Amino acid sequence: MEMFFLSWAIGIIAVVSIALLWIRKIRLKTMGSSPVEEIKPLIPDLKEEFSSELTPSGPFPEDQLPKEELPHSYGIDRLVLLARDPYWLYAYWEVTATKIAEFTSTHSAWETSWPALRVYDVTGIAFNGENANKYIDIGINDQADNWHINTGEPDRAFCVDLGRQFPDGRFITLLRSNTVTTPRASLSDREDEEWMWIEGIYRSIRHQYGISSPLFAEEVAERAGIIPLGVSSPGHWPEY
Amino acid sequence: MGKKGYLAMVLHAHLPYIRHPENEFFLEERWLYEAITETYIPLIDIFERLEKEGVDFALTISLSPPLVSMFADSLLQQRYLNHLNKQIELADKEVERTSFTPFYETALVYRERLYQSRRIFLEYDCNLVNAFKKYQDSGKIEIITCAATHGFLPLLMTEPEAVRAQINIAVDLHKRSFGRNPAGIWLPECAYTAGLDNILKEFNLRFFFLDTHGVMFASCRPRYGVFAPVYCPSGVAAFGRDPESSKQVWSAKEGYPGDHDYREFYRDIGFDLDYDYVKPYIHPDGIRINTGFKYYRITGNSHHKEPYNPKQALKKASLHAGNFMFNRELQLKHLSSLMDRLPIIVTPYDAELFGHWWFEGPQWLEYLIRKIRYDQDTVELTTPSKYLDEFPCNQVVTPCASSWGNKGYNEVWLCRANDWIYRHLHLAAARMVDLANSYPEASGLRYRALNQSARELMLAQSSDWAFIMSTGTMVDYAVKRTKTHLKNFLRLYDEIKNNYISEGWLKTLEEKDNLFSSMDYSIYRSKS
Repeated sequence: MEMFFLSWAIGIIAVVSIALLWIRKIRLKTMGSSPVEEIKPLIPDLKEEFSSELTPSGPFPEDQLPKEELPHSYGIDRLVLLARDPYWLYAYWEVTATKIAEFTSTHSAWETSWPALRVYDVTGIAFNGENANKYIDIGINDQADNWHINTGEPDRAFCVDLGRQFPDGRFITLLRSNTVTTPRASLSDREDEEWMWIEGIYRSIRHQYGISSPLFAEEVAERAGIIPLGVSSPGHWPEY
Repeated sequence: MGKKGYLAMVLHAHLPYIRHPENEFFLEERWLYEAITETYIPLIDIFERLEKEGVDFALTISLSPPLVSMFADSLLQQRYLNHLNKQIELADKEVERTSFTPFYETALVYRERLYQSRRIFLEYDCNLVNAFKKYQDSGKIEIITCAATHGFLPLLMTEPEAVRAQINIAVDLHKRSFGRNPAGIWLPECAYTAGLDNILKEFNLRFFFLDTHGVMFASCRPRYGVFAPVYCPSGVAAFGRDPESSKQVWSAKEGYPGDHDYREFYRDIGFDLDYDYVKPYIHPDGIRINTGFKYYRITGNSHHKEPYNPKQALKKASLHAGNFMFNRELQLKHLSSLMDRLPIIVTPYDAELFGHWWFEGPQWLEYLIRKIRYDQDTVELTTPSKYLDEFPCNQVVTPCASSWGNKGYNEVWLCRANDWIYRHLHLAAARMVDLANSYPEASGLRYRALNQSARELMLAQSSDWAFIMSTGTMVDYAVKRTKTHLKNFLRLYDEIKNNYISEGWLKTLEEKDNLFSSMDYSIYRSKS
């Protein structure tokens, strides 16, 4: 579909550009004899990824359309975290008036604190709020309801708190997000291999060796004699 | 010499569901008509010819559920036929207009192709599903499915039920359309995240595709790189894209489609000719648009363009097919010397690249298939299913979360231009799950409203809208579609919850957003 859409989009750009070039040509002609600056060919760079930016990004849609079309809030306290790529996360949230009232009744005035995101590295742990590997705080503003967070760390698990920071250094959590893991950005350094047989072939093996689950790959693989293609049996198995 | 390995060509055919009963001349609706004439029918034409001549081949095609639904929609069928008839009328005029000019040969080609399109379209009762099914049944092509509305699944995983529903509906429609369970799936945008494979497994999908790094950056190093599939822990296989062969076709600079003898896409009589002449064939409001009649070849990098020479272009396509095959032979000879099994090269493409953008693409594909069959014995065409049947034992890894979009991850579909959609999409998905749990046995009007809620949610989830927003052009339509479907959903939710369903409005929605007639909202129910 991208192919399709882009060809249309570029078509429109091409027409506009040619029109602009034409205007420019006319202007140059009337001004004198300076050579017409050649416009760049508008053929897209269709390498592997054809979703590359073909045009400078325009104004964001929020600016173009009336904001009231979709509800700005849904009356639900939530903080949702998404992994954008190996280096960036994206969080959005909604804090209800009830939540704010609850907060101010327990912890002094809203005005004496400022909003912040606490980004926890929770790789390899069951996070309980206290045991993060490390965290960073990002000061935000009261108008923000979403944030692109640069962690710079592929293949790590993160969880985010939206909270209020006080002058004495206290950080009080309002909302906690789900946990996400950033994708890898390089080859794994793990070379241990696990192999799996599936379906027909496996059934004959089960018959032969009496293994109960068709997906119980370890058992299959541990029997060195039947490991396919001469792969030697490594000492430990990856955890999934 | 003997066989050294396999080549699996995969074409992903998809367009978003665009159907505007209220206006016959919706510009975006033309995407479908152009793709039918330029891509889908030419592919069917190739299959027809190859079969008639007894040329054996194997090809994988994913037909997305929105596309299948549009193929089967009688309104769009009728509109396409109207469109095609207008095109034929123009083609006849063009043959006359161009006689004794260097453009005449090209005009004849267009006319012939358009008449051919009409013949094929009518032969299959105006429903191209019948055509693809025919070649599936004869064992030449393997048709696989895609998510229901091409949702970008990793970013919908906050509500796994919504992802499960995307797969469920897709598999269901596939079965109804093609009479069998799809063997595999094209994940929209090749977008994967760990755990997605568990849902695929529930629907007996054996395999999906990943971009190169999705396999290469897996939890453990893949022993054979992308030249053999890997199994996810669930046992679903992932095939990785071969970068070398992809580049030969994709790249506009280094790839075949940029060749100077090939047809230039951006010189169209819709823009080039007198307004009065083209007026009946452009938008009724007088907006100039592409008509598909293009008479120049790429020629070079400047704006100077020479007339297109169809025979010369075909020679080039044949040459390029030979070159592509030669490179695969070399690649497989090399790979097989390193591997202790037959390697597989997987080359996925947007189907619409062939014919629509790269005019000669379908011919190239046909030449390639013939050459592979008759001119060598190193490379054999295959499908993922056949390969898995032959090599059922594969390495187990967790693939890397990835997509085939720019930069390889989620950024295209999650950037500042479109990040605002997720707070609404996630909420709507959660509400849909709530509805399905709250009304386990709805009937009558409520049943219809619940099903329509599911359709509206799915339409809002199309990755196409986020993609278009990220490109910065023609954004309005994508924003409007996202907002409209979400608003429809939210209103239906309120009406269902308040037990006040406006039947007239519901009926309008059912007629307008009419895909997935077999929708059953209960697929959104939480797994207990």
